[in-house]
Amino acid sequence: MNGSAIGVSRPRHDAVLQVTGRALYGDDYERPGMLYAKALRSRHPHARILKVDTSRALKLAGVKAVITAEDVPKNRYGFTHLDQPVLADDKVRYMGDVVAVVAATSWDAATEALDQIEVDYLPLPAVFDPVEAMKPDAPKVHGDSNIVSHIKIRSGDVTEGWRISSEIVEDVMRTQVVEHCHIEPHAALAELTDDGTYVIWSTVQRPFLIASDLSRILQYPMNKIRVITPAIGGGFGGKNEITIEPYVCLLAAKTKRPVKMVLSREEEFCGTTVRHPYIVKYRSGVTKDGKIVARQVEIISDSGAYVSWGESTLSKASIHAAGPYFIPHVRIDGYLVYTNNSIGGAMRGFGVPQVGFAYECHMDNIAAVIGMDPLEFRYKNLLTDNSSLPTGQVLEFVTLRETVRKAVELVGWKKEVEWE
Amino acid sequence: MKRAIILVVNGTEHSVEVQPSDLLVDVLRDRLRLTGTKKGCGTGECGACTVLLDGKPVNSCLLLAIRCEGRQITTIEGLGTPDSLHVLQKAFIDNGAVQCGFCAPGMLLSAKALLDENPAPSEMDIRQALAGNICRCTGYVKIVKAVSSAARTMSGAEGGGR
Repeated sequence: MNGSAIGVSRPRHDAVLQVTGRALYGDDYERPGMLYAKALRSRHPHARILKVDTSRALKLAGVKAVITAEDVPKNRYGFTHLDQPVLADDKVRYMGDVVAVVAATSWDAATEALDQIEVDYLPLPAVFDPVEAMKPDAPKVHGDSNIVSHIKIRSGDVTEGWRISSEIVEDVMRTQVVEHCHIEPHAALAELTDDGTYVIWSTVQRPFLIASDLSRILQYPMNKIRVITPAIGGGFGGKNEITIEPYVCLLAAKTKRPVKMVLSREEEFCGTTVRHPYIVKYRSGVTKDGKIVARQVEIISDSGAYVSWGESTLSKASIHAAGPYFIPHVRIDGYLVYTNNSIGGAMRGFGVPQVGFAYECHMDNIAAVIGMDPLEFRYKNLLTDNSSLPTGQVLEFVTLRETVRKAVELVGWKKEVEWE
Repeated sequence: MKRAIILVVNGTEHSVEVQPSDLLVDVLRDRLRLTGTKKGCGTGECGACTVLLDGKPVNSCLLLAIRCEGRQITTIEGLGTPDSLHVLQKAFIDNGAVQCGFCAPGMLLSAKALLDENPAPSEMDIRQALAGNICRCTGYVKIVKAVSSAARTMSGAEGGGR
């Protein structure tokens, strides 16, 4: 090793294994006597579970075990809120909720057994629009309110800001659900060794987080849980948290055999986390010379059926919601709302792409209203050294202006720009 | 209903018993333990399971194993080895065309089929040949660059290939 790595292109150390097909990913592992697990998911977006009968499935050839909520020592998990069941017990809250998991001697036997599990549901009214879900009379996904959290950021006094504004511009933007679509589906293989250690090969991005989650779910010491992450075929936040690992552990304990589970592409869409869809409302006040003096933002984040990483993503989105602009009077309100939709979770940018899209569209609209060049308008308001953010943080070493000037030059976006 | 068939994979004959419904990707991965062929969607969308059948790229997740009897199947394990990389494999490494690597086996085989047929492809030829292979990490630019650079190496090098 000599010299600096900066400015030097170096090959990945594992690239030779990847291009020759030798790199081992989650589904490439197998253990002797391994069983195959398949999940039975909800048929309703919202329903009470009256009865689950697995007796017919258990009689099928090749079926070794079926687990339901009763088999889970601690049937709730979540990063900030312990609200998500490993296996649905009282209710199903979205179409991806898992009610039972079968372990059998082949994928086909496990899949066929799913049809033989009888679940009695009492369908409940469901809510799919987060704005509807915020109303007091909306069907409740959990408890007595669908509003899980309200994040508030206050800086200055927006009332004063509106007073000194010469124009006030309002916009509402909506972003859509995005599934991560890592090409490799989730896979997990668990084995309970003779000394009572769970060994789990999993496609998870955070082995220690899931070891601690498994410790709580299984009520088992963390030092007896070993999580091995093989090569991972993409994650993008979609493999940030626990998904199928509890099932393979519980089934391995029940059958005394290694158990593997791999999600289908359909399950990736309906049963794993997605990027939260946001509804973002902007209201900004500007002076005649194009200075933004006030900004009010309301973010409504559709959490889906459970919180997962919803509160942390909303928190980051709220911190970034005013944009890279200095604004003296700011008021930001972020709401995380339960619905019967797919669960929002971690995904690249963690809430910031949603608000970034919204505030930059808003900036273009303001520029059009006041008749100013959109680049000039942005440049005039950029954060600089010693600018304070709405959170109170004072910035140092800010190179936004230099970056914008360089970008304009490289893109050749405009011939003549009059820099302030 | 099982039937014994002979599959010729990377030049080696394998005798396997298959159900008429067994897919080639599952037989390659689970029975022959050739796990370099990946399964991403199971519906012919992502191309991770691409193998060559008599030199043509096919989605092995849409192909019944029983229909491949007697035909030449090439998987990623047959393209090159860590000690003796194919020019394409070396070009993928040198050009940073691999990130998570899950699409790489399918990409490489589609690229191999292209270069076997067209030794001097244009960028559009490369993009069309790889249209059935989805990569979620790289944004394709470096993959296209790698295939183009491999084509130049192969046409310039004596004897081409490896």
